[in-house]
Amino acid sequence: MVLGIASASRFYFKRGFGHSSVIRSSFCSLRSSSDMKEVSSDKGSSGSALAGGDSPALPPVKVGASLRSPSSVVQSTPEIEKKYVHRVYDAIAPHFSSTRFAKWPKVSAFLNSLAAGSLVLDAGCGNGKYLGLNPNCYFIGCDISAPLIKICADRGHEVLVADAVNLPYRTGYGDAAISIAVLHHLSTERRRRKAVDELIRVVKKGGFVLITVWAREQEDGALLNKWTPLTQKYLEEWVGPGSPRVRSPSSPLTLESIPEAEENGSREQLKEFTDKYTDLRSLQLRHLHMNSQAADLSLASLTKKGCEDQQEFFVPWHLPYHRAEVSGASANAVASGLAKKDDKKGAVVYNRYYHVFSEGELEK
Amino acid sequence: MRLLTHNMLSSNIKGVTNGFPLRIEVEKVVEKSVDFNPDFLKNMFAKIEYKALVEASRIMGYAELPDHAEPSMLESDDFLRKFHHALMELHLEEGTLVCPETGRRFPVNKGVPNMLLHEDEV
Repeated sequence: MVLGIASASRFYFKRGFGHSSVIRSSFCSLRSSSDMKEVSSDKGSSGSALAGGDSPALPPVKVGASLRSPSSVVQSTPEIEKKYVHRVYDAIAPHFSSTRFAKWPKVSAFLNSLAAGSLVLDAGCGNGKYLGLNPNCYFIGCDISAPLIKICADRGHEVLVADAVNLPYRTGYGDAAISIAVLHHLSTERRRRKAVDELIRVVKKGGFVLITVWAREQEDGALLNKWTPLTQKYLEEWVGPGSPRVRSPSSPLTLESIPEAEENGSREQLKEFTDKYTDLRSLQLRHLHMNSQAADLSLASLTKKGCEDQQEFFVPWHLPYHRAEVSGASANAVASGLAKKDDKKGAVVYNRYYHVFSEGELEK
Repeated sequence: MRLLTHNMLSSNIKGVTNGFPLRIEVEKVVEKSVDFNPDFLKNMFAKIEYKALVEASRIMGYAELPDHAEPSMLESDDFLRKFHHALMELHLEEGTLVCPETGRRFPVNKGVPNMLLHEDEV
């Protein structure tokens, strides 16, 4: 790809457009209880679309889990992601956002290396940390979490609510795409692969894609001990191939039975915790773009992960009591078993699902 | 949502062969100024589907864009400014995007489209 634009003129996409650039505090706004209802991942304002808004041309609605075609198994969201990714991030959004300010150098370098005037698509943009990082480029972000997207929109970014496994973008439109700390929240290899395929699809031939995920191999091995591995029992119930199962009320998969991870209560400590994970598998998929039209990604066979080769984890998020959102959504969360209170640390503890990548896995 | 974004969005419901362009139903349009950058506009002109942009801008209340455009028109400052205005400065603040094949409605609230699909649509 030929880099460099002859014109020396810089331009800026003003964030805020006449709004103040101060981030409006979301402390006062309680999450509405609809966020915590037992709904499918496509919650939010689209919920009303089912009632009467659809044309009669839609195919019949309900399909039993066992009848789903393979492609829909990839795309419909597994329960573990709904519970331990979507609902958690929705509940912790403002707090999570306030801790996401450190920009990872490799991502910054990548974005700053792009040609002026590039259209950059950020799939799974979270609180929009990287949107607009390069003022010479135009960014469009999407995330599955409506509360996080709201934070981006309040800052003046161009964003939408969408699923990284099924991007609502035309093929080949972008100049570059990034997926920063997103893929590890997808619970099956097929879904992760589909998300990568989507990133490649939406950029033009010769465009660049940057994917960053958390690595299994950390410089400080002790850090992995802070995370809670899913035991074999949970792996069978949640992560195995096939249709996701409805969680029965008597299932022992409540957070009481998962050993408590170590303390990380204060904001300063959280930042430290995050900064330690600098050993990320950042991968520029430039070479895949030679074939982006052919989309020549052969499927490796699904590998079953044994216990000794642990890659599925719950990573705790401590939401301090003093955050306003605790009284709203989190009260529901504790009641429904999604989170538990830790009076010793003064926080509600959510567990987030992560699949950490082993060396070489991302390249596959 | 800007028309630059709208020009990229496509309905990805299962079974839909062509989900582009999404039909716009306007409830509220806001104009926000953006710095004018000809190089960016020329880069984007090659990517966008111009006809969809013209139609969308008309629905949003802006009728200045010519029906057809050639790359040579990018040399004209007058055209570039109109193109800039339609592409970058018109925001759909409240409204709906409608899938051209199924009629499925995707809401736009506070400038943010929600393109998430229901379980039976993937």
